[in-house]
Amino acid sequence: MSYRFLALPIAAIALVSVATAQAPPSPSKTQGKSWTAPKTPWGDPDIQGIWPGNMGVPMQRNKNLGDRTSLNDEEYKQRVAQAQRAAAADNEERAPKDARVGIGPPSYWTERGKPTRQASLVIDPPDGRIPPLTPEAEKFRKEFRGGRGVPAEWAGQADSYEDLNLYYRCISRGVVGSIIPVVYNNGNQILQAPGYVVIRNEMIHEARVIPLDNRPHVSAGIHEYMGDSRGHWEGNTLVIETTNFTDKTSIGSNGVGYNGEGGRHSDALKVIERLTRVDDNTLTYQATIDDPKTWTKPWTMLIELKRDNNYQFLEYACHEGNYAMKDILAGARAEEAAKPK
Amino acid sequence: MWGAVIAVAAIIVLSLAGMPVFAQAYRAPRAADGHPDLNGIWQAVNTANWDIQDHSAEAGPMWELGAIGAIPPGQGVVEGNDIPYLPAAAAKKKQNFTNRRTQDPEAKCYMPGIPRANYMPYPFQIIQSPQGILFVYEYASSNRFVNMGKPIEAGSDTWMGTNNGHWEGETLVIDVTGLNGLAWFDRSGNFASDKLHVVERFTRVDPYHLNYEATIEDPSVFSKPWKISMPLYRHAEKNAQLLDFKCVEFAEELLYGQFKKK
Repeated sequence: MSYRFLALPIAAIALVSVATAQAPPSPSKTQGKSWTAPKTPWGDPDIQGIWPGNMGVPMQRNKNLGDRTSLNDEEYKQRVAQAQRAAAADNEERAPKDARVGIGPPSYWTERGKPTRQASLVIDPPDGRIPPLTPEAEKFRKEFRGGRGVPAEWAGQADSYEDLNLYYRCISRGVVGSIIPVVYNNGNQILQAPGYVVIRNEMIHEARVIPLDNRPHVSAGIHEYMGDSRGHWEGNTLVIETTNFTDKTSIGSNGVGYNGEGGRHSDALKVIERLTRVDDNTLTYQATIDDPKTWTKPWTMLIELKRDNNYQFLEYACHEGNYAMKDILAGARAEEAAKPK
Repeated sequence: MWGAVIAVAAIIVLSLAGMPVFAQAYRAPRAADGHPDLNGIWQAVNTANWDIQDHSAEAGPMWELGAIGAIPPGQGVVEGNDIPYLPAAAAKKKQNFTNRRTQDPEAKCYMPGIPRANYMPYPFQIIQSPQGILFVYEYASSNRFVNMGKPIEAGSDTWMGTNNGHWEGETLVIDVTGLNGLAWFDRSGNFASDKLHVVERFTRVDPYHLNYEATIEDPSVFSKPWKISMPLYRHAEKNAQLLDFKCVEFAEELLYGQFKKK
């Protein structure tokens, strides 16, 4: 566990809790406070609770920020103002006349969270940008589906359910996509029992059971959307290594990509997650994406989660209520039928 | 059914009131909270998911599958075998049976609901944590969190219900309300409504078995409460673990095939 990464969220958290105009306490001061990590009755570090995601940090860093991991006062003020405008728009009772018809839920569902100073979720490479694709991955993405690429956001065209991504299909957001904060249903619950940690995600409804007993991974003959996870403790940090992925999921928000890009990984993906409770109410979540078939080098995201045990975890019956899928396909067919022949 | 009761009777002593009372013969290992340790991977080994009532072997709804699609025979898990349907509900059950190939929520990969989740032909894992008990089902990645604290009232109706648990001696009792009534009990079309109230009892009876009982109450579908019971078996494989069974992709053609571009 590199403490270089840890210093950043601590500084950012301290900031959110004080008035924005005040100077932040230095990270070293915050770190100096003695805080004893709680233990479970059987002696493991206790990271249990509900840790909802907090939206508002972009996945990749704005290029003009360079290697800076934290926004300055002016940039932070802009981010706060942007969040306020978004929240105000969410609460509009009526959509503006020129608004595009979408298939999303009503805007008052959105949970935009509290802006923080973290410049980007990607913290390594140091410029906060996802490394270049390998030539084979570039070729794959260009040629997939007869040149239409990996399904990202729905853009009006859908011949089949397979033209929609795994999130629209309510199948899975994958391991990392299930944690990356999105606009609603950001609940993450961690539960522990001797020999196990479970990470439960509200959206889609995942419950990833992670054995801690050093057993080997399942054989290479088994591939899973959520992969095969094995965990161990390094001090107070839970380290989870996940392999045996399918090549059907993507890395990125909701497991469907980033910046309009499909974000698809290969079945060679290995994800290393590091979860550290740095104080009672803060858990840092780091994920290193290592897929030599897709990206030219490994890259790491950092997501800071705040505990909220009053957060109401709802049943996300996505597939059961997936009227969007039927409507998207039926709508596309109706449009075709209406076209003059 | 009686076979199962007799088998369990070796361990269970029925009190005069008819409530099962457990003899001192088996004391389950304790979890960190001092209660019986239910952690483990469990699975029913019966044919209740085909039909919770007594049934003979029969052809399934799809002859194309040959004997693979046949329904295995089984002794039911319903106490006394009869389900006390009200007349209109009995007719609906028959209709469900007729339409089961496309209308069974399992065919659509919908969440299984309670009690069905516990006797589907897939394993499930109990995580008994200090913050509550999580049931993780392999089928459809469904799961339910059992609140062991102060009981909470059901909010909106859900597939897996609002689950409030407490211990009665050796038994974990879960009171399930707020069920949406869209789940079925089995592939034969047995069903309930959103008035369904299920009280489940999980009791360890030896190192490898968990006795499962559920009382089913729904005044808009049944004339009186009824009960199911069965043993659940612990997976003993050293490498036992749940795997992905994300079945949406196996149901899409059934659900949306008609809307694809021809």
